[in-house]
Amino acid sequence: MKPFTGFDLLRPPTLVGVLEMMSTLELATPIAGGTDIVPLFRDLGSKPVHLIDLGLIEELNGVEEEDGKIFIGPTTTHSQILASKVIEDVAPALHDAARWIGSVQIRNRGTIGGNLCNASPAADSAPPLLVHDAEAHICSLEEGHWIPLQEFFKGPKMTVLEPNEILAGLRFPVVKGAGSSFQRIGRRKGFTLSVVNAAVYVEKDGEKLKEVRIALGSVAPTPIRTPSVENMIRGKNMGEDLVEAAAAACAEVAKPIDDVRGTAEYRKDMTAVLVKRAMREAWRRTGGDL
Amino acid sequence: MNFELNGVGVYFEAPATMTLLDMLRVELGVKSVKKGCEQGECGACTVLVDGYPMTSCLILAPQVEGRHVCTVEGLVDNPLMKELQEAFMENGAVQCGFCTPGMLLSAYALLSDNRNPTEEEIKTAIEGNMCRCTGYVAIIEAILDAAERIAPD
Repeated sequence: MKPFTGFDLLRPPTLVGVLEMMSTLELATPIAGGTDIVPLFRDLGSKPVHLIDLGLIEELNGVEEEDGKIFIGPTTTHSQILASKVIEDVAPALHDAARWIGSVQIRNRGTIGGNLCNASPAADSAPPLLVHDAEAHICSLEEGHWIPLQEFFKGPKMTVLEPNEILAGLRFPVVKGAGSSFQRIGRRKGFTLSVVNAAVYVEKDGEKLKEVRIALGSVAPTPIRTPSVENMIRGKNMGEDLVEAAAAACAEVAKPIDDVRGTAEYRKDMTAVLVKRAMREAWRRTGGDL
Repeated sequence: MNFELNGVGVYFEAPATMTLLDMLRVELGVKSVKKGCEQGECGACTVLVDGYPMTSCLILAPQVEGRHVCTVEGLVDNPLMKELQEAFMENGAVQCGFCTPGMLLSAYALLSDNRNPTEEEIKTAIEGNMCRCTGYVAIIEAILDAAERIAPD
């Protein structure tokens, strides 16, 4: 295959160094695992790109629990997420999603921040984070601020990040007794992109759905939450009828397209199937019967 | 740039545009690292970086500065790798051999962590290694066999 050309690789040892380069260099692009972007380097334009490697910045890597929140560094690999007991306990949907991203080799290299910044509508990390009400830390040399992850995605392969900004962290609240589930359908079981994916988060109060959040992937230009469906079922008694109603409503909210991985019609139908599976599993994880 | 290759310190001036795969195979002559899809899909270029299987086609060579890179050449005297190699031969898990080094490294990483894997765990461990000859059954049996061989009595 043709060799790579048109970029250099800078490996700053500090976060400030990264942000300085991001704000001063033209066409600066952060790189972490590189699993999504390295294959694209065969077709770079004529202007040289400066790749800024985040791999040496320890403060951008790892999972921590602090003040009732989980913090995840953007260069945390999918394998690290999978190995994290605290993620498995607090956000089982995110743990399950990490299991199905890529292969062992990709999970050892690819990162959660890269998965989000690549902004694929099918990104498996996105629905679990969306239902856990995650926020994204946006940083430039001048300032940093947190935004709801929902506002991070702008379209296929597009995020809110300005050329001088990076995704510097993720956080979501620890809620005792909550349950979540991630479900996906691919063209085969392992090492494949999702044709559709979904995540559901629930808090239980007796037989009632005290809180419920649903996110869908690969059925819109970005991963989406479904507030209309959530408002319809929040506070109601959990049961098969409610699951059926929520699934049907989600299939209506889904506005997928036909592509090489599946048809729009198939995606709509499977959205309903995945929402049902995810609702039931999330509910069971709170100790509920279904 | 300095890194460790199969336990030996190596100094090599790799340009940013060179992949770890090209540095190992083309520049340093480590021929077990195969060039297949060059997109991280086929697993033929798998190496262990600090013990973890990764596809070397997706890693830029300068990114392994200070890291430990291991290929099957570095494990010739390793007891676990020897058992795996023998189990692969005896179970007919090798035909053309192109996927074999990557397959062995994925199996080695699995058995290093988990001495008694289930068939499902083996399938997961090798999901990133394509084999177009054997259809995987013989490979899975070979890894199960190797696990049995290394089991204490």
